[in-house]
Amino acid sequence: MTTRPGIRPATIAVAVLAVIWIYPVIWTLVNAVRPTADLYRGPLDLPIPPALGNLADAWNRANLGGALLNSTYVASLTVAGALVVAIPAAFTLTRLRPPARAALFLLVLAPLIIPTEVLIVPLFAIYRNLGLINSLPGVALVNVVFSVSFATVILAGFFRRIPQDLIDAAQLDGAGRLALLRFIAVPLAHPGIVDVGAIVAVFAWNDFSGALVLLQRPGVFTAPLALTTFSTFYATDEGLRFAGLAITFLPPLVVFLLLQRRIVLALTAATAR
Amino acid sequence: MRLAAGRRERALDFALLLPVLALLAAFLLYPLLYGLDLSLSRTEGLEVTGSVGLAHYARALFGDAVFRQGLVNTVLLTAAAVVLQTGIGLGLAVLVSETRRGQAVFRIAFVAPFVLAPVAAGTVWKFLFAPFFGIVPSVGGALGLDLSTFAPLSDASLALWAVVVVCAWRFAGFSMVVYLAGMQSIPHELHEAAELEGIGPFARLRRITWPLLWPQTFALTLLTTIGTLRVFDLIWIMTGGGPGHATETAATYVYTTAFRSVDVGYAQAMAMILMVLIVALAFVEYRLLTPRVEAAAA
Repeated sequence: MTTRPGIRPATIAVAVLAVIWIYPVIWTLVNAVRPTADLYRGPLDLPIPPALGNLADAWNRANLGGALLNSTYVASLTVAGALVVAIPAAFTLTRLRPPARAALFLLVLAPLIIPTEVLIVPLFAIYRNLGLINSLPGVALVNVVFSVSFATVILAGFFRRIPQDLIDAAQLDGAGRLALLRFIAVPLAHPGIVDVGAIVAVFAWNDFSGALVLLQRPGVFTAPLALTTFSTFYATDEGLRFAGLAITFLPPLVVFLLLQRRIVLALTAATAR
Repeated sequence: MRLAAGRRERALDFALLLPVLALLAAFLLYPLLYGLDLSLSRTEGLEVTGSVGLAHYARALFGDAVFRQGLVNTVLLTAAAVVLQTGIGLGLAVLVSETRRGQAVFRIAFVAPFVLAPVAAGTVWKFLFAPFFGIVPSVGGALGLDLSTFAPLSDASLALWAVVVVCAWRFAGFSMVVYLAGMQSIPHELHEAAELEGIGPFARLRRITWPLLWPQTFALTLLTTIGTLRVFDLIWIMTGGGPGHATETAATYVYTTAFRSVDVGYAQAMAMILMVLIVALAFVEYRLLTPRVEAAAA
């Protein structure tokens, strides 16, 4: 093999592709401070001076403060709910011996293959009968259903790495199942639980289709829904919409950048089986 | 006595699954049965006013050109997404694995679109694909070409392919990281030995990397199929199913029928057909790909 000095051709190719790939993302962030008129005049120029007023206007018009709070509430409830049901399920499916274990594992994966569209109309009808339309916990419950399979698969990967001896020894000492969960499973799989929480939070934060149907009153809109109000009421204010998009995108972006290596590892572990 | 104790133990192990099973029963099984009932019923708003038997299904399959187009679009979109997302993902993974420095930065660049909300991704691409001020007219203008009327999203013959591009852009990075992880488990000696034999990089990719990555290709094909067959948000934001019904998918048509035309029973029947299609396609892929996965593992 000839070792080429300097930069390899693959690196140049990858760098060019990476710039193309990230460009729409960067462009979203840059447009946040671009005056609306310039979006149409010079979409490739740098916005100098930056129209910082965009951010404040977007915040006020779409009531983003309230929407971000709503999104935070839904995302937190979704994460809590998903973990509460997925941790015991993943633990018993990997480390204990419930009857029909393999079949039950498949059953927990069912939401992956059932499309949202099949459930959305019946759920809308059921929610209306229960008075749960416009209820943020109601949206969180639907999010939990659609994240529980993923959470269980990833957590199962982490629980499999706990030595069986440790669990057997604890059981010999008389530890019950809840004690196993609390003192062995959760502490030892702590990193995995953080990863799952982060992924589920980003998913719930970005959810659009569930919220679109179940939330009808602007006061309870989550951030992705609030962003659509720019196009209905303020058809010309695309600049403001980009400002809103950038503000909304910031929390998942920060989570992703902080945890990117681990999130990627967790996602790959889940698909490697 | 021990047998009874064992049974009791296993029942308690099972109890840890009760929360998830209760959740699935209440929010998956019950809505599914409710939906099945709706699909067989005449509906007035959300109220059931009578039974229609299989009439909704017959109308969807034989009497509705829009739904048929929606199904065709859905299948085209899914086939293109599977090929492009796994293909580009593998290409990116090979390139990134060849680089010595900056792999983490490249990974972030390619995966970032996956984290961007579908609403944001849809809005951005609606702009990038716009005439006059979109990306193609602007770059064309800078190069002295007049491409100012290039507007794929409002061109019925191009719109679906524009959606395909955006899907590939969003998800190829995910395929890439899955492939990268798979490539790390391929022994270096294999490549070194092949290189000593004088086998070039493309032959090595075809004869070593690709066959050994079958488990990843299998998982990605299934995930992409399931994910694309139900894609709604991106299309809803970018085109709303238009122009005409050029980008109408089964999912967008179900939504419009249920919540715009308020034809709930009929919408539900179409949703059930979509579900059967997804399960069937996933099953076929599973049967077709499993033998090759097992060969790769052996």
